[in-house]
Amino acid sequence: MPVLDVRDLKAYYITDRYGRISRVRAVDEVSFQVHKNEIYGIAGESGCGKSSLLKVVSGLSKPPLRILDGEVIYKFDDNELNMLSLKDDKQRRQLRGTHISSIPQASMNVLNPVKRIEKSFQDFVSVHFEINNKAQFNEMVREHLSALGLDWDIMHAYPHQLSGGMRQRVIIALATILKPDIIFADEPTTALDVVVQRGVVQLIKKINEEQHNTIIMVTHDMAIHANLCDRLAIMYAGKIVEEADAHTIFHDAKHPYTTMLLKSLPKIGDESERESAPGAPPSLVDVPPGCRFHPRCPKATELCCKEEPQLIEIEKGHRVACFHEGGSR
Amino acid sequence: MRVRSKNFRSNTVEFGHGHSKLLDINDLSKVFIRGQGFSKTRLVAVNKVSLSLERDKPEIFTLAGESGSGKSTVAKLILGFEEPTSGNVVYKGEKISNIKGSMEFMKDVQPVFQNPFETFNPLKKIDSYLYETEKNYRMPGADEHRRVKESLELVGLSLAEIKDKYPSEMSGGQLQRTSIARALITKPSLLIADEPVSMIDASLRMSIVNLFKSLKEKENVSIIYITHDLATAYYVSDRIAIMLRGYIVEIGPTKSVLGNPLHPYTKMLIDSVPSPDPTKKWKEDIVLSDMESSEFARKGCKFAGRCPEVKDICTRCEPESVKIDGRNVRCHLYQ
Repeated sequence: MPVLDVRDLKAYYITDRYGRISRVRAVDEVSFQVHKNEIYGIAGESGCGKSSLLKVVSGLSKPPLRILDGEVIYKFDDNELNMLSLKDDKQRRQLRGTHISSIPQASMNVLNPVKRIEKSFQDFVSVHFEINNKAQFNEMVREHLSALGLDWDIMHAYPHQLSGGMRQRVIIALATILKPDIIFADEPTTALDVVVQRGVVQLIKKINEEQHNTIIMVTHDMAIHANLCDRLAIMYAGKIVEEADAHTIFHDAKHPYTTMLLKSLPKIGDESERESAPGAPPSLVDVPPGCRFHPRCPKATELCCKEEPQLIEIEKGHRVACFHEGGSR
Repeated sequence: MRVRSKNFRSNTVEFGHGHSKLLDINDLSKVFIRGQGFSKTRLVAVNKVSLSLERDKPEIFTLAGESGSGKSTVAKLILGFEEPTSGNVVYKGEKISNIKGSMEFMKDVQPVFQNPFETFNPLKKIDSYLYETEKNYRMPGADEHRRVKESLELVGLSLAEIKDKYPSEMSGGQLQRTSIARALITKPSLLIADEPVSMIDASLRMSIVNLFKSLKEKENVSIIYITHDLATAYYVSDRIAIMLRGYIVEIGPTKSVLGNPLHPYTKMLIDSVPSPDPTKKWKEDIVLSDMESSEFARKGCKFAGRCPEVKDICTRCEPESVKIDGRNVRCHLYQ
């Protein structure tokens, strides 16, 4: 049974500048399901709409990002709930913290620079949870930190005293202290160096094992996806073009875009010439007609320029949107 | 880091011809002092670093290491943005402290910065940076933008593609290539690229890295490539230096350092590069440093707190750099 069911979601950035309306088609007819206790990855180049998708699904979308169509259904212990039917921020707020939570990109801006880490924890917990006394709060934090293998001493430090990697792990600890059912992680390892990246991946894995929750992870780094994810969706220009379990994506990818992404990655010990993906992703304001990938695709035919392929299941659990892989109109 | 565009020093410097080294760094140290009075702390950001580049053999030299290992400080010292505390940087036979700010030096050594979205002013058209550089350095043929066109061609762009465009209208890869084109206008012999690909999509990184390769081969430009991405370093560079908390712990030819690492820190770095293959996931857990300052202040080897092969001696005295197998290693295992 899926915990999150997204159906035909459509969300555009609509701006009106002196009567000239522009539409950025960031999320266009996206459907996917995420099951309990799995790590679901969303990959794609920057500007393909993956962060916008995450914003809409986690209920953080603000104008000019507007939801035009579709459903986002959460299922928590037999309670069904449509995120898009919630009227105001108050209702959404009840969901956050305990049911859904998000890990932002590593940055100095997340933690208050003039307050100790402890204060950030207090603020976060007191909004979503009633704390009766300090001892109870301390007990709760101590338990959480020791489960994640972090030291209690960091609670008394200021953000600038911590290294970049430690800071990101504190942010992850903060986001998961109330044991949320679903965690959204938006590029949690980008701009960190390799050693710290590994520590962060290690921590996310540990949370998934300890708290038995679901993690939806967005990053452009395919190697991180290979290490962490159970299932993977590849996004291109606002659409999912391929979805399968991690092993299939990395060893038996069908969509030309997925193979192109994987081919561009260099490896230590491999001296063969590597080429980066030719061309650039299209602007989402005027997307190419037909298959959105056809201007960069080596296999493009006349049909690809005219008609848009649908995302269809070619094997169990493997969906592809390409005419060359049995795609239909 | 900001490049001064005006007010060059009036005196011109002639570089010592016949000097065989392009860049010679000898026992370089940089100490930053934080705080005042009793709370004063010393932070040795660069510690006894030595390296050199040959003049007539262009190469791509990688400086790799975690964040906070002093790689960027080395770059700033080479560019003359910081004064070294001890030791010196010699460029073509001249001390950097004597020639920095002179037109000849700034023409010859050019930087490429990390984040192409922050390098350019969002309100300024991107081509104006190229014209300005050309004019400020008084390149011949500035009227018809000859050098601008040539250097854009080198990076695989054309003037028509970037003319009258704002930074927001271009992708990260295009911006970074424009940034490199700007650096190439003055025909430099040395490019200092500080994390040039870390803000660029993995799928477009190879275009920048391949560009460095062709610049080395066709234009005889030496490049100091600063990165923590060992996979691209392996692909592109000839020699590599691994830095840890100010020290160079291992330096040598890239293929042997990354193919057969000797220092435990290099081993851990290589082990931490994620492989794009779900059958090769990371198995064992690693120990991360909590606070940067505590590792900088550590006596003996800076890696002792995280090293899997730590010995008694490591926490007491500092290892010396020794030569084994065509490279220099700073570790007690090989003393």
